[in-house]
Amino acid sequence: MISRFERVSNYVIVIALTVGVLFPVAWFVLTSLSPNTSGALDFSNIAWSNFTAAWHDGNLAHSMYASLVITVSAVAGQTVLAILSGYAFGILGVVGERFLFPVILLGMMVSTEVIVIPLYYEFQRIGLTNSWLGLVIIQLGMGVPFGTYWMRATFRALPRSVMDSAAVDGAGVWSTLWRILVPMARPAVLTLVLLSFMWTWNDFFLSLIFLGDPDKQTATVALGAFQGRHVLQVNLMAAGSLIVSLPVVALYLFFQREFISGVMAGAVKE
Amino acid sequence: MIVLVPLLQTVNYSFYKWDGVSEPTWVGLRNYLEFGRDPRMYAAFGHVLVLILMFGLIPLGLGLISAALLSRAKIRGEGIYRWFLFLPQVLTSVVVAIIWKRIYAPDGPLNSLLRGVGLGHLTRNWLGDFTWALPSLGMIGVWGGFGFTMVLFLAGILAIPDELYEAARLDGSTRWQEFWLITLPSLRGQMAIALTLTITGALRTFDMVYITTQGGPGTATTTPALLLYQLAFVNPDVGRASATGVVLAVLCLGIAVGITRIMENKDR
Repeated sequence: MISRFERVSNYVIVIALTVGVLFPVAWFVLTSLSPNTSGALDFSNIAWSNFTAAWHDGNLAHSMYASLVITVSAVAGQTVLAILSGYAFGILGVVGERFLFPVILLGMMVSTEVIVIPLYYEFQRIGLTNSWLGLVIIQLGMGVPFGTYWMRATFRALPRSVMDSAAVDGAGVWSTLWRILVPMARPAVLTLVLLSFMWTWNDFFLSLIFLGDPDKQTATVALGAFQGRHVLQVNLMAAGSLIVSLPVVALYLFFQREFISGVMAGAVKE
Repeated sequence: MIVLVPLLQTVNYSFYKWDGVSEPTWVGLRNYLEFGRDPRMYAAFGHVLVLILMFGLIPLGLGLISAALLSRAKIRGEGIYRWFLFLPQVLTSVVVAIIWKRIYAPDGPLNSLLRGVGLGHLTRNWLGDFTWALPSLGMIGVWGGFGFTMVLFLAGILAIPDELYEAARLDGSTRWQEFWLITLPSLRGQMAIALTLTITGALRTFDMVYITTQGGPGTATTTPALLLYQLAFVNPDVGRASATGVVLAVLCLGIAVGITRIMENKDR
């Protein structure tokens, strides 16, 4: 059905597009290996030392640790809370659900910019600015609504008969959730974990506002400051950027399908 | 609670004049009225229109065209292409900004390329140029958004039953007609999603501008989110910042609801 010409042109299109998207990134990777501070490429001397230099100069050890602590706690908390409230809304039923669930949906749709101002001044008053705990709380607040929505839909899609037979076997509400439903919903939970990891790790806006103290900064903010200071050392800047993006890109490498389907499904939330 | 209480507070703040430290004073709607007279606001929301075009409409068009061209093909190594095309979506926005800041730099690769092909007179400091800074930022959005729309549309096209195309072919329709009569209408849902996401994304642009231009040169690339940040935390005029936030939120919500409505109406 498909002609030879068409097949060839399809490949040409795909390859051209891929190269177009990839070129900036590939060029940047090569820059990070260049010994020239101007960023001029030089393949004869590959400078792996750029990565160690960026690591030290950019204070990346400290800020990567900050990002890791914040991201892992936010993701863990968010996943557990989302599973619990998704179960409550999806299966058990909640008193006042008809009022509460729209509130959750609203929480999902409201953009960060609108709520960040009062949050900042309130948190400042109670001493939660410049604190990892404060940022984790906000990330939880921003993430749990989507997680709830996501897990509710997942649990609802599971066959009702499973829960009935669990009840017949004498499984309680709690053990039904953790022994039966969560294992069945594992792919959805994995997607949720990956998405919230990506969102939290990549966040810049919130970290910039809530962690002003350089000792508390996350990797994205530290990188932003680093590139401001090292305008003339392009190779170091590139190396630092690669280090900061590595965790999410590595996860993406292993879980491509989950990421893409998750972002697509997450997009539908609007 | 984290979301709802501050949401109401923002609305409340937006009726006051407050520098973040001293006592706030009630000014009623003045923060909103001054909006109309503040050239910075005009500039910021005007820039968003350009960004909407480049973040939203161009990737939408490109994604549609490429998805339509590729839809019927079996391509070997599809997963690999998709991995690369989708990569900008998972890259840290700060890193994306740094990559492009470098590409646009006076001694960066874009200018070297132009010089290399004999177009040296076109070289410039792309992000420092009053005319070119904003379109240059927009191009970053085209680059980042295009893979997303294409993957989205390809998935949508796969869901269209083959029989529709076969029937059309029996009726002797051309590929062009197939595209207009079958592919396009079937992708309405995906188009709504893509538009909503990219347009609200354009409205909320912050990281990119903060890293690359800080809104400059002058106010050539300010965005509402950047103004909000400056008004709320740099030179506090919290009431005004809150008013900006409220307008931004209403616009985002309005656009999302509007697009969904339009797409649903067409369904009937």
